Formats: sequence, C-alpha cells, structure tokens
Amino acid sequence: MTTETRAAALADPLEPVPVLVGRPDDRALTASLTAPVLQPTRRGWLILVSVLMVGVGFWMLSLATTLVVGIGAWGNNIPVAWAFDITTFVWWIGIGHAGTLISAILLLFQQKWRTSINRFSEAMTLFAVAMAGVYPIIHLGRPWFFWWLMPYPSTNQIWPNFKSALPWDVFAISTYATVSFLFWFMGLIPDLATLRDTAPTRLKRVVYGIFAFGWRGSARHWQHYRIGYLLMAGLGTPLVVSVHTIVSFDFAISQLPGWHTTIFPPYFVAGAIFSGFAMVLTLMIPARKLLGLEQVITMKHLDNMAKVILATGLMVSYGYAMEHFMAWYGGNDGEAFAFLNRWTGPYAPIWYMQLACNVLVPQLFWFPALRRNLVVLFVASVLVNVGMWAERFMIIAVSLHRDFIPSSWAMYYPTWVDWGLLFGSMCTFGVLFLLFLRFLPVIPIAEVKELRRELDHDDFAAGHGPAAHALQAPEARP
Amino acid sequence: MSARAYVVAEFAAEAPLLAAARALRDQGHADLDLHSPVPLHGAEEALGLKRSVVPLIALVLGVAGAITGYLMQWWMVGVDFPINVGGRPPHSAPAFIPVTFELGVLFSALGIFFGLFKLWGMPRLHHPVFEVEAFRSASVDGLWLSAAVLPDRVPAVTAALTALGARQVEIVEDA
Repeated sequence: MTTETRAAALADPLEPVPVLVGRPDDRALTASLTAPVLQPTRRGWLILVSVLMVGVGFWMLSLATTLVVGIGAWGNNIPVAWAFDITTFVWWIGIGHAGTLISAILLLFQQKWRTSINRFSEAMTLFAVAMAGVYPIIHLGRPWFFWWLMPYPSTNQIWPNFKSALPWDVFAISTYATVSFLFWFMGLIPDLATLRDTAPTRLKRVVYGIFAFGWRGSARHWQHYRIGYLLMAGLGTPLVVSVHTIVSFDFAISQLPGWHTTIFPPYFVAGAIFSGFAMVLTLMIPARKLLGLEQVITMKHLDNMAKVILATGLMVSYGYAMEHFMAWYGGNDGEAFAFLNRWTGPYAPIWYMQLACNVLVPQLFWFPALRRNLVVLFVASVLVNVGMWAERFMIIAVSLHRDFIPSSWAMYYPTWVDWGLLFGSMCTFGVLFLLFLRFLPVIPIAEVKELRRELDHDDFAAGHGPAAHALQAPEARP
Repeated sequence: MSARAYVVAEFAAEAPLLAAARALRDQGHADLDLHSPVPLHGAEEALGLKRSVVPLIALVLGVAGAITGYLMQWWMVGVDFPINVGGRPPHSAPAFIPVTFELGVLFSALGIFFGLFKLWGMPRLHHPVFEVEAFRSASVDGLWLSAAVLPDRVPAVTAALTALGARQVEIVEDA
C-alpha cells in the first residue's frame, strides 16, 4: 500500500482536514516558521506600511484636534453624549476577546487547533485593546488628567466612586491589557530564544537574545513554564468574560431604555467573541497566504473559526430577539418605544445593516463548502465586523438620541474628527499588526513542535503513524 | 563552588537522554539539567525535580489581590470619603465585586510572571552552556544534557556520557 492510500484508508472520517499538513521535523518547522522574521524586508510589506501610515497621520491629526479644540470637535452633544468614541471603544475591546478565548479557553479545553493561531490572535488582542484604551481617555474631556481615575492620595482629597461602573471599567481594561501582554510575552520567550539561536546577523542575535532573557530550554524552565502558562490561561478565562461583562455594565446599570437590560453581560460577551473571531479571519486569510503559512494554518482552522462565528452569531441573534421580547413583555412605554424606534426611526438603515450583517451573514456558515471558501470567509468576516460596529452604534447613540422628553430629542452627525478617529485607529492597528508580522514569530514555534509530537503520538496510539517510530529510542525501533 | 566545569552532551533521542540523566544521578551527580526545544515528558522524574511552587504563588497573590481590592474600596468610599450614590450604603458590597475580582486576577498574573522569572533565574543573558557553539540547537531540535561538576570529575563524567550514547560531548572549563 502506498503512503497516500494507507493514509486515506485510515483517515478519521470526522477529521477530513488536518490541523498540520505533513509531519515536518523540528529543524524544518523552525526554518519555515522563522523565515518571515529572518528574511530581508519585502517590498510589499513596506508599501503596505507606508499606505497605512497615511491613516496613522490622519488619526494623529484627529487626536491633536480633539486635544486642542476639545470634545466640541466631535458631533457629540446632549442628548447624544456618547457616540463614535464609546462605540469604537466597545468595538475594539470586543475584537480583543477572540485572542484570549483562543489562547486561554481553548487551551483549557485541550483543542489542538488553537496551537497554530494563538500567538496571532493574542497579538491582535493586544493591539485591539491598545486602540480601545485611547477612546475612554480622550473622551474624558481633559485627557491630560486621566490618572485621576486611579485611586491615589491626591491633593484633591477625593477617591474614585467605586459604586459607578466607569471606575470598574478602568480596572477591568487595565487588568485585561496587562494580563494579555504578560501571557503573550510568556509564550514568546522560548521562540525568542529560537530566533536568538538561528538569526543570521549579529544585531538580530543580540536583540532577540536580550528579549529571550537567557532562556536555555532547561527542564527546570519548562517545568515552571508549563504550569505557569496553564495558570495564566486559567486566570484569562474568567477575566475575558468579566471584562466585557463590566463594559456592558456601563450601559446595563443605567436607567436609559435600550441600555437598562439584564441580558447585556452574556450578550456582550457573545458579541465580543463573534466580532473577535471575524477579525482574526480578516487578518489571517491574507497573512497565511503572504507568509506561506498554509501548512500550519490549514482550512481546518478557518473552518473551525467559521463554526464559532456561526454559534456566537446565533447567540447574538437570540440577544436581539430577547431584547425585543422584553421590551414588549415588560410593558414599559419608554422601552417599547426605544425598540420600535430602531425599526422605524431616523437611524433605521443602520439597524437593517446590523441585522443583515450579524443575523443573516453568519447563516452562510451552515454550509461546509462556504466555510472553506476563502473569498466567502473573508467577505463575511469583514461584514460581521461592520455589523458589530453598527450594533454598538445602535445601542449607544441611537438609544440616546430619543431622550425621555421629546423636546430634548436631537440627531447625531459625526464630524471629520469622528471619522478620522475611527478609520485612523484601524490604520494604526494595521501598522502595529504588520510590525508584529515582520519582527516576531507569528506561529508559536515551540508549541507547534509539541503539537507535532502529540499528533505523532495519536497516530502511534492508533497503530498507524508514519512517524511513530521517531518517538522510540534507536534500540527500541523494530 | 566557583571553580566548576560544565560537561554538555547532545543526545539523538529523548529516551537515551532521560536514561543518561537517571544514570548520572545514580552515580551521585546532582547538578544536572536537560535542554530541549519542547518540554520533555519524564524530565522532571529523571532529574528528581520537586513540584513547582508557581500554583502556590498564584493562589497567595490572587487572594492577597482580592483582599487588597475589597479593603481599598471599603476604606476609600465607605470610611474615608463616603459618597451617597442613589441612596446606596457607603459600604456597598455588591458594587465592590468587579474591582475585587480584577485586582485578584491582576496580582495573581503579575505574581506568576515575575515568580517565573525568579524561578528561572532570569534575566541571565549569559550562561556557561552558551559557550558551546553547537548548543544553539537546543532551541531548534537538539536534546542536550548539562552537568555542573568539579574539575577533577570532568574526565569521569565525559566518559560516562559517551558510554551512555551521547552524540557529542563538550566541556566548558571556565565556569
């Protein structure tokens, strides 16, 4: 029997696509996974960074205008005091959640397919949280006093009000950013050592060497590393759920129709995972092609992510349905009007766009052929994030623009500064991500080596591993 | 102890590497280490390592963080500067839960991260084993054993490692 027919005969019918194509040895894996970092800079990368830098400039200009002119540079006013700023904040922080979900929750569930994509998603989390963190600060009005949010013995002789959801936000977001960074950096250390040991130039060896902090792959290092990594994942799992729960408290704890609802925490967390997985797909589909990573990020990964998007999309849809049910069943006039206003009010087109993107688009992923079609996946993932931004805008600005007293009703229109802050943050995120792709290993090298050993072991346990003998000592080989 | 030499040996497979570690330990060499690109199953038993204290650090600091968070809020808005918000009592336990939880997680994560660096003995940019040029493979695909021994034991350990099936043995004298 040839290898191919034997593999076909023994293939698990439930696992038609592998999580790792082939069984490359450690040296081949190291070579292919460090190649994007160790190769000379490519022209395409430079062009892409240059184009995005224009957007970064626009973002800087918008930020500077906000600082100099003040919040009046935005379209915000009473009653719509929160608009693009908080919408974009919630959108970015939600996107960040996929990274922690993939790296922590899927680790605890021992999902092998997380291995190749966890570093990528964690980096996305970090940059998304960095973007998110800007908005609540500039939204303060006097952002240069942002440290007044921290409880320190200041000359003002007053403490933050811990009975308000907004100081909870400060603690949740800063804890989330810190823990995400530590978790990501911890995972990077063994790979930075690999780069130190394989880099062709002295400069790279020295720089990667400094950031590897002297990692020697010692049994003592690994012993503490493994338990530490698992514990970090254990902390990350409740943390990620708590963060978007606390973000949803900013709204749920208030009295405003459209905000004052107990379904917000679970519905925000589901929406966060929904948009985060979509963003991972949006970034990963081009990146795996450009960096030649199809061998380690296979269709199996994309297929699984599409399934998560479908599942969380259904949860989000359930959230929409339940909000409407409660608005009707609760018998509160303000609440009923807020939801009727979504369908018939001046911002109704955004509501229909939200429904199309978040409820209809994920339904494509019921079909296996569409889950494995790169064009469909890419377009759908972009649409999901458009839909999720629309959802946050509907919740925040549209709930506000019809206040309790009709005489205070007003429309919100974004200014160029609002648009600059939105699109500029996307470009800044893109530049940060491109820097990550260029200078750090996108795929966790040590973890993929471990994955290959596990897969070999599974093959061996099933009695048909082509590489099963590699696990045995030479004298034990048949 | 300063005048110790390092004997560094590369092995072709995991099983003889672990067997060599056990054999050297039986011969009375305590200061051994294994170096590999991935964690090795059975390395801790072969070297006789104790259980990691990282879980204890995580637990103690997590609890300490949560207690700190709660007491901080209780003292700041319940005692030192009571603020009446919506008629809620100054010491309002349900409102203190989010920050208590977040600080518990934050302290625990910082404790794990910096505790690991302490346990790893890092940052330590230079180590005698790095003197061996071929040791670079330890982070790629190489399986290495290092033994810190007194200079007079070097020939014996070198011979033992060769006999145990090492592919190459290197000696770092000036450690």
